[in-house]
This record gives sequence, C-alpha cells and structure tokens, in this order.
Amino acid sequence: MSDHFSGPRALADPAADISDLYAFPSPEDPRHLVLVMDVFGKSGPSAVFSDAVIYRFRIRPVDIAATGPEAAFVAGKSEIAFDFTFDVPNGTSVTGRPVQHGRCLTPDGRIISFVIDDENGGAGEGVRVFAGQRSEPFFLDVRMIEKTVTTGKLSFKPKGSDTLFGTNILTIVLKLEWAKALEGGPLFAVVCETLAAGKRPVRIERLGRPEIKNVSLSWKMFDQVNKDLEIRDLYNSEDAFDVKRDYFDAYRERMNANLGFYDGIDGKIDWPFDQHGNHPLTKILLADFLVIDASKPFAETSYFEIERSMFAGRPHVTPGGRWLNEDFMDFIFTLYIAGWNGPPINDGVDGPIAFSSKSFPYLAPRNPPKDAAA
Amino acid sequence: MTNPCENFASDSRVEPLTLTDGSIAVLNLQAQIDGLEGCDTPAEAASLIDLLMLRGLILGRISDYERAAQLADRLVDVAVDDAAAYVTRGRTRAVFHRFAEALDDFDHAERLSPDDDAAKQERATVLQALGRYDEALSTYENAPGRAGRFQNAAALTGFWAEQGETVTAERLYLQSLGNYRGISPLPLALLDFQLGVMWMRKERLDQARSYFEAAIRRVPAYTAAQGHLGEVEAALGEPEAAIARLNPLAISSDDPDYAAQLARILGEMGRNEESLTWRRRAADRYDALVTAHPAAFADHAAEFWLGAGDDPQEALRLAELNLQIRKTPRANELVAQAREANDMRAASVRRQ
Repeated sequence: MSDHFSGPRALADPAADISDLYAFPSPEDPRHLVLVMDVFGKSGPSAVFSDAVIYRFRIRPVDIAATGPEAAFVAGKSEIAFDFTFDVPNGTSVTGRPVQHGRCLTPDGRIISFVIDDENGGAGEGVRVFAGQRSEPFFLDVRMIEKTVTTGKLSFKPKGSDTLFGTNILTIVLKLEWAKALEGGPLFAVVCETLAAGKRPVRIERLGRPEIKNVSLSWKMFDQVNKDLEIRDLYNSEDAFDVKRDYFDAYRERMNANLGFYDGIDGKIDWPFDQHGNHPLTKILLADFLVIDASKPFAETSYFEIERSMFAGRPHVTPGGRWLNEDFMDFIFTLYIAGWNGPPINDGVDGPIAFSSKSFPYLAPRNPPKDAAA
Repeated sequence: MTNPCENFASDSRVEPLTLTDGSIAVLNLQAQIDGLEGCDTPAEAASLIDLLMLRGLILGRISDYERAAQLADRLVDVAVDDAAAYVTRGRTRAVFHRFAEALDDFDHAERLSPDDDAAKQERATVLQALGRYDEALSTYENAPGRAGRFQNAAALTGFWAEQGETVTAERLYLQSLGNYRGISPLPLALLDFQLGVMWMRKERLDQARSYFEAAIRRVPAYTAAQGHLGEVEAALGEPEAAIARLNPLAISSDDPDYAAQLARILGEMGRNEESLTWRRRAADRYDALVTAHPAAFADHAAEFWLGAGDDPQEALRLAELNLQIRKTPRANELVAQAREANDMRAASVRRQ
C-alpha cells in the first residue's frame, strides 16, 4: 500500500486509489511475466471494484540510454495495454462477499471474463488473470516514518508496528507469456493506471515506482520553490511515458528537496548534488515506471538492481521489477539516507501478516474482518 | 419542468459524467469504514469520523453521527496539538447544532495552523447555519485556491439554495457538475438533494421531485432523498406511492422524520389506527433525541409536534429553543407557526 491516499482527489474514490504495482517473472515458469496492481488499501469485506473505472496496465519496451552518473532509460514508442473493467455486483457469495463479474481486454481485442475472488481467475491464450480481495502484501510503520520526517532523526524502533497488519486490498493479477504477448524486450517499462471510463477516458491515478508520490514527493516543507503546492494530483494526471515539460521542473525541485532532506538525516552527505543542483537519483526516479528484464529468472530481492548496475556501469544480473515480499521500506530508507553502500536501515517491520506465495494468484488470502478475528 | 440531468447533458461543453454506480459507492463507503475501524493514527481516525458522518448523511443513520462525535472527542484527547483533529470535532459538533462549541474548535485549529484552509471553510458552514449569511458568503467567495473548483461551487450552490435564490443556485449547480472531476456519485447526489429541498420550500413540487429523483438515480440508498421524495409524492396527490416509499425508511431508520411523515400522510387519508402507531413511534424517538441532543433536534421535533404530533405547546417550546440557537429566517418562521397553532388551539378551546 505504498501509494495509498496519494493525493486528495483519490480520497473520494477508494476503488480508484492505487496503492502498489508489482512486476516479476513468474516463480513457476520463467516464460511468464506477472503484473499486480493493488487498489483500495485497508478495504473492508464489502469492497468491490468500480464499474466506472478502467484499471490499466501499460507496457513498453525500454532501453538503457546511459550508464554512470547520467544513468537513464529511454522508453520505446510502441505500447500495449491490458484493460480491466467490472460490472455492478449481483448478489452475495457464500463467503459474504459481493459477487462481481469482470473482464480483461487484451491488446489483440480478446476478452477474458472472470468473477472476483475466484482463485482460478480467467484465462485466455498465454494470459491468466485474477481480481479480488487479498491480504495486503506491503508493510511499513507509518508513524515512525512521519516522526522521522518531522524530527529529522531516524525514529524507527527495533520492533516496529506494521500500520497495515491484517488489512486487505483489492488486487488485479495479470500473468502473461511475455514473448508472445509483448512486443520487443526483454527489458520492459510497466505502469498501471486508473481511468474514469467514458468516450474519452480520463486518468485518475498512475503508478510506476513505489513510494514516489508519498515518501519522495509528498513533503512540501523542504521545497523552497513550491512550498504550498499539493503536487500529487498534478503528478497523477501525467502520462508516465510523456511527462509535460511545463511541470517537470516542479516535480524535479520537489524531488531534489526531499531527497536532500533524507540524505542529511544521518549527518553526512552520501548524495552530493551535481553541477545543475540535482540529486543524483532524481532523474532516474522521475522515470516513474517499473523496469523489468523478462529474460532473467525470478529473484526475491531485485527492485532497483537494474538501475544500480547502470550507475555502476555494469550489467544487471536480476530481473529488477518488484516482487511482492520485498522489504521495500528498509531498501528505500537505506538508499535515500545512507547511499548505495551505507549501513542498512531497518524500520523494525520485516514482513506482512502473511507473505505472498510463489503460485498464482500469489497474494495471500484475505484476512478475516477485525471483529471476526477478535 | 427542470430536469437537472437533461440540463447538464444539453450543455455541449461537457460530456456526461462517468460515475460509479450508487450501490457500489455505498458498499465501498461501508468497506472504507470497516477497514478503518480500530485504526491507530490521528489522520485515519479523522477519516473514519468523516466517513461515518457521510454514511449518516446518506443512509439517514443518527447512530453514525453519534459515534462520530464520540470518536472526535477521543481524537482531540490524543491529538491535542493537531489542528485537523479540532476541525474534525468541530464538524461533528456542527452536525448536532452545537455551533458555539464548533466555532471554538475552528478557532483553536486556526491558532494551531493559521494557514490551513479547512477550519475557514468549516467555519463558513456554521456561520451559514447560524444565519450569519454575509460572513459565510465572504468566506466561500474568498476561499484561497478554490475558485472554480467543485468544492467551492458546491458550497455556494448550497448557500444560495438555502437562501431560496433559485436562479443563482441552479447556475452554480451546473457549474459544480461541470467542475466535478471525481467518479463518486455521492457528492453530486448531495447537491441534487439540496436543490430538491430548495424547490420543496418554494412549493415547486415538480422541480423538487425532479432533483430528488436525480439524487436517487445516482444513489438509490440515499434515505433523505427517498424520504423527501415521499413527502413530495404525497403533496402531489400520490399518497400510496409516498407510503410505499416511506414505510421501509420508517422501519429501518433511527431518524424519526420518516415515521412522522408516514403518520401525517396516513392521518390525512383517514387511516387513523396506522397513523397513531407511527405517531407514537416518532414521538418516542423525538423525545429521546431531544433529551440527548436538544440543539440538533429542536427544529425537527417542533415540526413534528406542529403536525402529526398535534402538541402545539411542545412545538412552541422547541421552536423557541431552536431560535435561541440560530436566528435564521426558517427558525423565526417555525416560532411564528407554533404561536399561530397555539392561538388557534386556544380559540378552539374557548369556542367549546
């Protein structure tokens, strides 16, 4: 739920509020790529997908354009998309959950139908899909993050409190045989979006990398240029592969300011700004898509390994992307505060209530409602 | 006859809105509330309180308002330096017409966070409820950074609708629809409802019906819209339709307004026994609510005792209490009606 509540507008439409995107080679079969979009964090048992929203995965081939300090990707122009839409629920299942039918529109125009919460999901040629309520795979201690930012001092406890412990999300899982379903590769850039359906769908939210909008962009107080600007709704409305030049400077300034703040928390500078006044990570993070190498086998911890290898000028060895069980908050705080080789920072939360499995649909079954659990 | 949806659709500058089905919106409102139960951060507690109040508004559940108020008191206890906590509590106090205490909370929030717009906006809502219209309007019109946005246009729609300025209210209503960028049907159904109430007070029942029906199309479970539509149907000479609409509301809701309306309509139809049953039910509930929240229910209870309750003295007592709390034209009118009813009752007794 790294992107939950990532802008005021999303608050009004919980079923359109994207919390996380994951992309990983199938642990069961390296010919398959798996994409996961989570929405509606902390959702209760009656949660369903909106019938007015298109839930979309966008995938483009991507190349490494530069390595070393100027490391950069260039995304290709060709793109394929998988769109998920849902009906108004019809009745209640034996589990007490609403019965909702959905469909996935594949890039070649096929429709794969399914019923939410059905673990078998739906299947078409080279494609398998699941949608429904599952256990929240993300874990973090929000209070200690806020305290760290407020005080400017690392505030994590040896044993933290998982803010998301025992909560559920709505998830969409897409498993596809990448060599057949995608164009180009094996390096791909992936984003997910929610769009208001209609003649001309309007983007509500988009997500690529984790914790860009919340941990990296949300704090206003360090930004000397746009101190009053709630930047996230604007950022959400952008095309991830074609960010408007007019606003890019505002995102860059905010990112520079916040990354600079994090770097200073341990009292030493691990990320000296370049001659243009930019943090070394700003450009690559604002290329806000998950990059995955579909030719590499599954790995437990692989997020940002491709980017790190690019900075180091060496070939990457993992698929990159993002696996469901990665301890992302430890990774990002270590990276932002201590640099590539600094001492690891632990936020005191090392896992969710239930880890995801390595078989479809991967995310653990939903947790019982709190009153039932009690 | 005004059809709000046709008006909007005929505006060639904008496309029809794409909105989540009303049944999904209510399921997901419930899911948000369930998901936040037992939350441990002040921000989440404030969200839970707001959602409970929204559910109270849509489903006509006074128990949701009561729970929100309890949670807000607790929130302020644990987040004494948090401006948002005071804004949230002020909002719950305003719902129960504890306007002076609500304004104290907004003052406190502004002292803690002078640049925060939330307290200013909420203060305007209370000033409007108190009949301090010039001050409220000034705040709405000068809301920083909100010009042209849905929230501000919607607030102004409600303001002018309450004043009975129908042309301005309808213009702002259309502007609000044009500015809306969300997909939840709930904010728009609330707007439809406000316009419906405006036309109802003007006794333009066809227009009122049209807006209440629009609200119900967006959110079928919108209890207050269903209840008011029932009233309109009765006034338009369709009492059977009104009874069919009000009966389930009167059974399920903890708001006695629906039982009161049902008692009145059944009484007017001469179905006195049934009317008496609903009258007793409404009277008991109003007594309990006036005891628990005198400021909040004085006006509605006064209307009940003036009508189906048939107790003009109690109506006058409550109408005068309501006027002490807020000196709005409607509060004055209610006192006048209660006095007139008492005079008529006294004259009737003298004749006997």
